[in-house]
Amino acid sequence: MIGPLDTILSLVLLSILFSFGTSLLPGLIKVLAFQGVIVSIVPLLLGHEMATGEIVFTLITMVIRGVIIPLCIYLAIKKVAIRREVEPIIGFNASILIGLILIAAATLVSRNFVVPSISDSALLLSTTITLLVGGMFLLIARRNAIAMVLGYIMMENGIYLAGTTFSIHSRHIVEFGILLDVLAAVMIMAIILQNIKHTFDDMDTALLRTLKE
Amino acid sequence: MVELIILISFMAGLLAFFIPKVYGRQLLVVIGVIHLFLSISLWVKRPEAIFKAYFAVTAEGMLSLIVISLLFFLISIYSVSYLEKAEIQSERIFIGSMLIFLSTMTMVTLSDHIIVMWIAIEATTLASAPLIYTYRTAEALEATWKYVVVCSVGIAMALLGSVLLRVAMDAGHIDAPASFSGMTAVAKSMDPRWLKAGFVFILVGYGTKMGLAPMHTWMPDAYSEAPSPASALLSGVLINCAYLGIFKTNQIMHAAGLGDFSGKILMIFGLISILAAATFILKQTEYKRLLAYSSIENMGIVAFGTGIGGIGAYGAMICLIHHSLIKSSLFLTSGNIMQGYGCKIIENIGELVSRMPRTFVAFFGGFIAITGFPPFGMFIGEMLIIIGAFRTGHQLEAVIFMISICVIFAGLANQIMKISFAETKTKHRIHVPKNMLWPQYVLLLTSVVLSFWMPETLYETIVVAVNSIGGGF
Repeated sequence: MIGPLDTILSLVLLSILFSFGTSLLPGLIKVLAFQGVIVSIVPLLLGHEMATGEIVFTLITMVIRGVIIPLCIYLAIKKVAIRREVEPIIGFNASILIGLILIAAATLVSRNFVVPSISDSALLLSTTITLLVGGMFLLIARRNAIAMVLGYIMMENGIYLAGTTFSIHSRHIVEFGILLDVLAAVMIMAIILQNIKHTFDDMDTALLRTLKE
Repeated sequence: MVELIILISFMAGLLAFFIPKVYGRQLLVVIGVIHLFLSISLWVKRPEAIFKAYFAVTAEGMLSLIVISLLFFLISIYSVSYLEKAEIQSERIFIGSMLIFLSTMTMVTLSDHIIVMWIAIEATTLASAPLIYTYRTAEALEATWKYVVVCSVGIAMALLGSVLLRVAMDAGHIDAPASFSGMTAVAKSMDPRWLKAGFVFILVGYGTKMGLAPMHTWMPDAYSEAPSPASALLSGVLINCAYLGIFKTNQIMHAAGLGDFSGKILMIFGLISILAAATFILKQTEYKRLLAYSSIENMGIVAFGTGIGGIGAYGAMICLIHHSLIKSSLFLTSGNIMQGYGCKIIENIGELVSRMPRTFVAFFGGFIAITGFPPFGMFIGEMLIIIGAFRTGHQLEAVIFMISICVIFAGLANQIMKISFAETKTKHRIHVPKNMLWPQYVLLLTSVVLSFWMPETLYETIVVAVNSIGGGF
């Protein structure tokens, strides 16, 4: 039987495939924003009893992951260049194929692990693994600096999913600290992006190679 | 009381963004003094934290904290003179970031909760990023970008590792606080498979920050582009903070009886780092990059020693402390050279011995110290690690270790000789302010003194710390 949790997790998996096949940056940012929203409402569907404070925290997470972080990056590119290509090192079709293989592999791998607190969802572990590896793939396979930041965000989404669902020990104040760190990291990256554009007149990370060894 | 140290430097950092730069420089020194004073009083009184779930005063944390305090105090004095000569566009950002950086590093040394530790270490990355971009050049920008992306992604691995540690607790059906001390207490009943996975992720994550090869790529760039006081902080104490994360996880592993597993992995990463440093150090053309590769080597030595355990783990702790003292002194001295000659390339620099004699003494002394000659502490540490390796039957590893150290010495010596004695275009003697010299002398002298005489309390604290990872005599 497919529960509501697995249904929305399949949306996350789809968003990963979309992100691999998107060629324009604004599109990619939207996909990541969607993914951020979905990932942050997962804790609501776990079926645990939730206090008001926890629900409020989940909503704050959703706003930061789904709106503020994507907006930060969107504004960063809007200032410097609109509608840029992601400049793939690995082509889009190949990327999507890799994404499919990744999902299959993650599903196979996740069968070997038993996470005690999530026995009722078939997709949770495999989605987490796919998000993590998928984020890394975006980091490696796109030359554009913004696409790399988005890859980092996707990885963070994966870790958030792991952090909130794998363990019953999570504490909200601590999770909030993580969120602040990630937000600050993305903001600093956005500032650097603007400077990269300013200094090099481009955002291709291939230009960033004067320093070697 | 304990949390106060974190808070004071943080507030001062925020303040520094808004006040004129003349006051900012004074603030830097004042906070340096206050921080040192608080650390010493912490060392003497050993109070308990207010938020016990998140913070704790531990032996290894105290060791790192006192090193941070001492170094920051000396670096702040150096910085005042350095900033007068250096033309930095946004000095307020520089000073504010230095102070917030200090605050986040202090938080690392005091944190006990595994996630708070992660938050603090990630915060050090973010606070130090503006420091690397101080000079606003294209190279500095590239170094900052690399630093932020590589470290953030690396540290994300450590966060995953921390989550896995919590899973290891759930899988063992135990309910304990997710803190290092709590986990060490219940380590035996944690699920070993998840625990091992968690350790590997944490090692890779914090290892990135510590500069273990092959995750070290950001390090030479960041160190060479940052202004010298910032490089001294990055190399002297930031590395220790990252190591602290690995050290505390290793404690859990030892308490769970998985010390052999973690030791083996630490040794492998250590040897790879030493080998990588030996390979790349030979062809460096800038002296700050040279020093960065030397840091990678030293972190390799520390990881290797920790992995061996026993007497080697004690040696690693000695190496860690002395590396902080010596390497930060070397980076400060490289700031003098940079300001004197106005150049980072070794080829354009020479006759340091006659152009800047007092700087030369600090530079050459630092070089002798960092390559492991007596009477400096690195010698003792490395010696203990080699003896430890032979005692535990790791002959092959010990031989690789020794050969690599010799190669690194040769590579460093070659370039340092050029800087010190080769011919140069600069004909006149270069003046260096006193405040840009005596901090380095104090650092080197501390290293010498500590290798002959160590205060009883310091020795005991080191022994307590290394005992928890299967070290000691």
